[in-house]
Amino acid sequence: MSFVFTKKNTLKIQELKKSYPKKKALILPLLWMVQKQDNFISEAAMKKVADITEQSYIHIYGVVTFYTMFRLNKPEKKIIEVCRTLSCELNGSEDIKAYLDYNYSNEYEILEVECMGACSGAPMCTLNGKYMENVTKEELTRVLK
Amino acid sequence: MIKKIVSKNFDIKDSFKIDVALKNERYSSLASVFEKTPLEITEIITLSGLRGKGGGGASAGCKWSLLDEYSGTKYLVVNADESEPGTFKDRRILSHDPHLLIEGIIATCYAIKSHISYIYVRGEYEEFSDILQIAIDEAYDRDYLGKNAKYLVDIVVHRGAGAYICGEKSALIESLEGNRGYPRLKPNKISPEMFFGDATLVNNVETIASVPYILKNGAKAYRKYGTPDSPGTMLFSVSGNVNTPGIYEVPFGVSMLEYINKLGGGIKGGKKLKAVIPGGASTPVLPADIVKYSSLDYENLRDNGSALGTGGMIVLDEDVCMVKALKNLLRFYHHESCGQCTPCREGTSWSDKILDKFVDKTATQKDLDILRSISISMNGKTICVFAPAASSVIDGFLKHFESEFLECIQ
Ligand SMILES: Cc1cc2nc3c(=O)[nH]c(=O)nc-3n(C[C@H](O)[C@H](O)[C@H](O)COP(=O)(O)O)c2cc1C
Ligand code: SF4
Ligand code: FES
Repeated sequence: MSFVFTKKNTLKIQELKKSYPKKKALILPLLWMVQKQDNFISEAAMKKVADITEQSYIHIYGVVTFYTMFRLNKPEKKIIEVCRTLSCELNGSEDIKAYLDYNYSNEYEILEVECMGACSGAPMCTLNGKYMENVTKEELTRVLK
Repeated sequence: MIKKIVSKNFDIKDSFKIDVALKNERYSSLASVFEKTPLEITEIITLSGLRGKGGGGASAGCKWSLLDEYSGTKYLVVNADESEPGTFKDRRILSHDPHLLIEGIIATCYAIKSHISYIYVRGEYEEFSDILQIAIDEAYDRDYLGKNAKYLVDIVVHRGAGAYICGEKSALIESLEGNRGYPRLKPNKISPEMFFGDATLVNNVETIASVPYILKNGAKAYRKYGTPDSPGTMLFSVSGNVNTPGIYEVPFGVSMLEYINKLGGGIKGGKKLKAVIPGGASTPVLPADIVKYSSLDYENLRDNGSALGTGGMIVLDEDVCMVKALKNLLRFYHHESCGQCTPCREGTSWSDKILDKFVDKTATQKDLDILRSISISMNGKTICVFAPAASSVIDGFLKHFESEFLECIQ
């Protein structure tokens, strides 16, 4: 399996190179581009990013594994993230998580994450990356139908 | 109590669009900025007493001056990694007044003689950094940015990928350089950050967003608010067990209890206040009897054994189990330690595990002793202040709520 950037992305990469003093700084932007394109980051893609940024494959692998948002595997289901940090816990995030686990774990991958910067809307979760604040079981039932 | 300096446009409809922004003063500070020398601009900021709003509270003007002695390319990096639990103010600036941030960036770049700025936005904020990017594109179209601008500034939005530690400024630069977000050892004297070897200023979003008001109205106008040592205003925020959680900008020095009761709407369900974590999860908890005489400024909170931090208050009501609350926070530290330093990697992991025993009520006196010794071992022995912060969080809970921990001991 090999990895190729789309034409549009290839042009974008040429532009991006002008924005940074060294190619190495392109690593995170390129990995995001890969993940947007494929929905995960394959070994072939990491090799491609290594080539473009003139770094070793293992450096790229080390970077990918450090950041929680990069995925080495294609997700099989849609993702719901539930914030579990203090302000959300004080406002019932555990209940929300349990409710989701019980009713929706077949269709969705339900993950716990740390504070998402939405504490005034606790409890909060994200659905396909989009923020949902002050969530209730009723609202979730409505939205996830 | 509310004094809107940074938050002035937050409630205006479509405030993120350039035409609305222009009608509401955005970019209006720049004309006078370019009439002055960069040195004069920095001096105004120093005189205003503006302090960094990312948690540390360092004098912004002093930090800017550090770049003076460096020649060559200089960079401005805006820290929009905002991941401190209880903190959600920078996101509001990105989504509700991005042009204020852009205006602040242009003025700051002019002052430090930089032509390029990176805004490092936490990966989870994609929706909000998209709004920011559109605003930047608009600013290019109108020649506030780019090669046709009065002063050349380019802005690049750089997306993080989920790591709390990348908010620490040297870790942020490492991440920007394409590495794992490992904090760097601090140099032996106060100096700027280095991005690929060139001097770099790192400031928080809100710090930069405070700059236009000061440059337009003068240092004195800013000092009219707040206290002599904590001048101006801050986007304080409140969450947890309150009726109206949110962001409310007030001058420094306001009473904490008044803020919680008047702006936060008081404790939910008519319950009593038990404690407040005053400035994001990394600041030591304060029990209600200390909250009573606490005020929202750096000096008061330091003297009361905590810190102002990011100004993100987490309010706990009388029914909150403090053992469970500490467990929640230690799980966060365990999850977010970058793992470089042994005391931090091991200490956050073991303290998290030990807390499980307290929650299950299977802990022994020895576990409490171990928890205390872990806290000592994490303080002052690591590359960055993440571990000391975790240590101070443990100490705060044990100092003020020891009895609840003793109740969990067999
Ligand atoms: C563990 C840790 C996390 C931090 N996270 C953030 C953050 O998310 N946002 C931020 O602006 N500053 C954060 N800081 C503070 C930065 O290191 C830095 O002091 C700040 O961005 C400087 O800007 P200021 O002077 O304008 O506050 C963090 C510090 C530490 C030790
Ligand atoms: S103290 Fe913790 S977070 Fe900071 S560098 Fe060391 S291991 Fe990393
Ligand atoms: S604690 Fe859940 S968003 Fe901050």
